[in-house]
Amino acid sequence: MSKDLKFLVVDDFSTMRRIIKNLLHDLGYSNVTEADDGKTALPMLQAGNFDFLITDWNMPGMPGLDLIKAVRADARLAKMPVLMLTAEAKREQIIEAAQAGVNGYVIKPFTAETLKEKLDKILGTAGK
Amino acid sequence: MSNFSILQREYGACLESMTEAFQRDDEAAFFTAVDHIVHMREPKMLGEIRKLTGDLQKALERFSIESRLADIAEREIPNARARLTHVINMTDEAAHRTLDLVERSGPLAERTAREANVLLESLEAFRARPAPTAGFEGVARSVEAFLPVVRSLEAFLPSARSDCEQIRRNLADVLLAQGYQDLTGQIIRSVIKLVEELERTLGDLTALSGGAVEHATLGESNSSGFGPVVPGVTQGEVASAQTDVDALLSGLGM
Repeated sequence: MSKDLKFLVVDDFSTMRRIIKNLLHDLGYSNVTEADDGKTALPMLQAGNFDFLITDWNMPGMPGLDLIKAVRADARLAKMPVLMLTAEAKREQIIEAAQAGVNGYVIKPFTAETLKEKLDKILGTAGK
Repeated sequence: MSNFSILQREYGACLESMTEAFQRDDEAAFFTAVDHIVHMREPKMLGEIRKLTGDLQKALERFSIESRLADIAEREIPNARARLTHVINMTDEAAHRTLDLVERSGPLAERTAREANVLLESLEAFRARPAPTAGFEGVARSVEAFLPVVRSLEAFLPSARSDCEQIRRNLADVLLAQGYQDLTGQIIRSVIKLVEELERTLGDLTALSGGAVEHATLGESNSSGFGPVVPGVTQGEVASAQTDVDALLSGLGM
């Protein structure tokens, strides 16, 4: 799998974005862009040739779930692999995210191994 | 029956005996009748006075509760907000400081590992050289073959020392950056105290109002999220570990 994949990491906390960016870097993915909520992320996704979206759920402006729905509703982005990385852990929320079309769901606090495992899984299956 | 006819019935007999005693010049009977009337009025008056003082007391209590509430609303809530914002800033700063140090240490450790690897490779190349011949010439050839190892060692040791020293200093700074926990903990505790007081004061106010308070439920929406799970607070079925999420999703066919 190509390591040149272009990631967009969406989280309202800059520390979390940095942590994810560092972990992606350690996994060999160095092409990572950041956005601080769905409202800023969506136009970036629509304009910018991204290969993979990692998003938080609870953010001011546009929450991650709405972002995912908007991505899935956009014909050009509908097939983009999406990983939700969030502290939201209610059963009905996880089901709702699955129905909205996430490819993976990781709850915070998370480990580097979990992130790697989900990325590998999604990249091995997504878009096929 | 009209109000006045009640009065006539209650006081009529008494007034009659008063008038009679008055006309008879019977002082003792007259005052007995007066005492009787006063006695009839007393419980009502006392009741009124009791009610009035009760109302006054309630009004005073309400006033003191409300002025405390006003004080909390005007001064302490904005204060608490500023304190909590400060907590966010402090944790943000500490996290970024730690991330800075980690990001600076990573490449140093990587470089040490990389150079150690170069050294190992040159050692292996030395070991794998053809068996040395006997005599001075053989020794000279071995020494010559060992020179690249020495050069690698000379390059490696000073940079390994300075890199490790720097990593050690960075780790000490990471340790210090954790000091935020103490400070933010104290600030959060003071805000918890305020919330407790607010809870008590609002409870007192509710009790004064006779407890007739409608319980409004906070509207929570799935779409914007509930925030992190808080043990003992978050309601409903919650995934406590990644394995729970994975099991749920695989049950859904993901």
